[in-house]
Amino acid sequence: MTRLILERVTFRYPATEAPALEDVSLEVKGGEVVALVGSVGAGASTLLLVAGDLAPRVVGGRLEGRVSFDGDGPRAIVLPTPWTQLSGMAFTVWDEVAFGPANLGLPRDEISRQVDQAVVRLDLEALTSRDPTTLSGGELQRVIVAGILAMRPALLLLDEPTAELDPVGARTLWKLVRTLAGEGTAIVVATSELDALPAITDRVVWLERGRVAATGPAALLASDALVVANMGTTVAAVWRAAGLPAPYPLTVAHAAQRWERR
Amino acid sequence: MTRLHPFTLLAIAGALPALAWILPAPVGGLATAVVALALTLTPGASPGSTNTVTAVSPGSRPGLVVFRTALLTAAPFWLFLLLLHDLPTTIAIGLRVTTMVASFVWVVGALPPPRLVEAMVAAGWSASVAYVFAATLAAAPVLRARARRIADAQRCRGLSARGGLAHRLRALWALALPLILSALHEVDERALALETRRLVPGARRTSLSPPPDRGAERLARWGLVAACAAALGWRLR
Repeated sequence: MTRLILERVTFRYPATEAPALEDVSLEVKGGEVVALVGSVGAGASTLLLVAGDLAPRVVGGRLEGRVSFDGDGPRAIVLPTPWTQLSGMAFTVWDEVAFGPANLGLPRDEISRQVDQAVVRLDLEALTSRDPTTLSGGELQRVIVAGILAMRPALLLLDEPTAELDPVGARTLWKLVRTLAGEGTAIVVATSELDALPAITDRVVWLERGRVAATGPAALLASDALVVANMGTTVAAVWRAAGLPAPYPLTVAHAAQRWERR
Repeated sequence: MTRLHPFTLLAIAGALPALAWILPAPVGGLATAVVALALTLTPGASPGSTNTVTAVSPGSRPGLVVFRTALLTAAPFWLFLLLLHDLPTTIAIGLRVTTMVASFVWVVGALPPPRLVEAMVAAGWSASVAYVFAATLAAAPVLRARARRIADAQRCRGLSARGGLAHRLRALWALALPLILSALHEVDERALALETRRLVPGARRTSLSPPPDRGAERLARWGLVAACAAALGWRLR
């Protein structure tokens, strides 16, 4: 069973005294989607790097507290800038998606199976023979996500995964996140696309200046504290701005129901 | 030429400079420089690909672009040599340097990094070591492409690289600084991305499509090594 545990984690980047994360505790199990929300510099990306065993191992810095991970697959992160995640070692999109599984040393037929499945999931069939360097930002983002999925990660860490995607691509990705969770993958996502979260997340963690300010179900995104901090859903913010009474609706559907009952 | 095994291409690119320095000047250097420059005229580099030096001049004849790149890269060395030495020494060293530059430019154009990685992995090298080799080949074209993008962006913001020397130097600074900073930033992100995709030291990567390594090519490679050793022996006699 996949399980990520962060216990009282404090992390400082090299040559800095101020912690990027401070006293953060979090547990994520297989099949769960946890969303990290917060303003720029709140520590969401750092938390993903720590959870992905990249900080401090690769980026350097000092870590206090305990991070443990159990799972029957690797933990993998999708970073927000797809063009820096290209391997540079692939002639085609198919090769690019296969880069990770090949590095895992899997047999060729298994790599082939996993790559084909990831390609279908990200709707990349028409692009498989294209040179990855000629793709648009959105296409590239889907290729990078496919490359990560082809590794069959037990823990998937997504940092602003829809930043380069168009609305249709973003909806497809969020649906895929839910599907993956249904298959047992543990998922932690840092995103500023707050309106998408009620449909996909099991839990929301609000980070402020490296600390966990609040944690709770998706309904937290309609709480007064998050709405005031501009971390709530658009519907909740509009409801509040209109002077309508709390509790604020979380989604358009909730708002419609509330409006009809008025 | 590009159908040759990556190791054969590397062997040629390594043997030519070695022979240029081993064989007596200026004839040895002249012969190797002519061969190296002739190689840059062979159709090899694919235009439009960021993996190749030809990407710098889309629409141009690939061979000619590689040839021109080799000459333009070697030209400053000749100038410096002429300032430092007499004419015979300049010619002797210049031809050798030209061989080195032309060989490197040619192999960068003719050898796509992914093929090199596949060949090295198939030969039992660690994937991360193979990546370092391939990234070295890919670095120059990638940096040139980025420099072009930065130059375009700076031009949109009103920077002009025309005018007097002082003006051009100021423009160069405005181009070089973002290039260096963005390259450093990208190194960090790329390291994270490669790490998460398990390109780690000691990883035993599965070779997806290893390039065929024919017996004749293996023989030719050993032949090049033998030729360099024989030339060295002859010179040390």
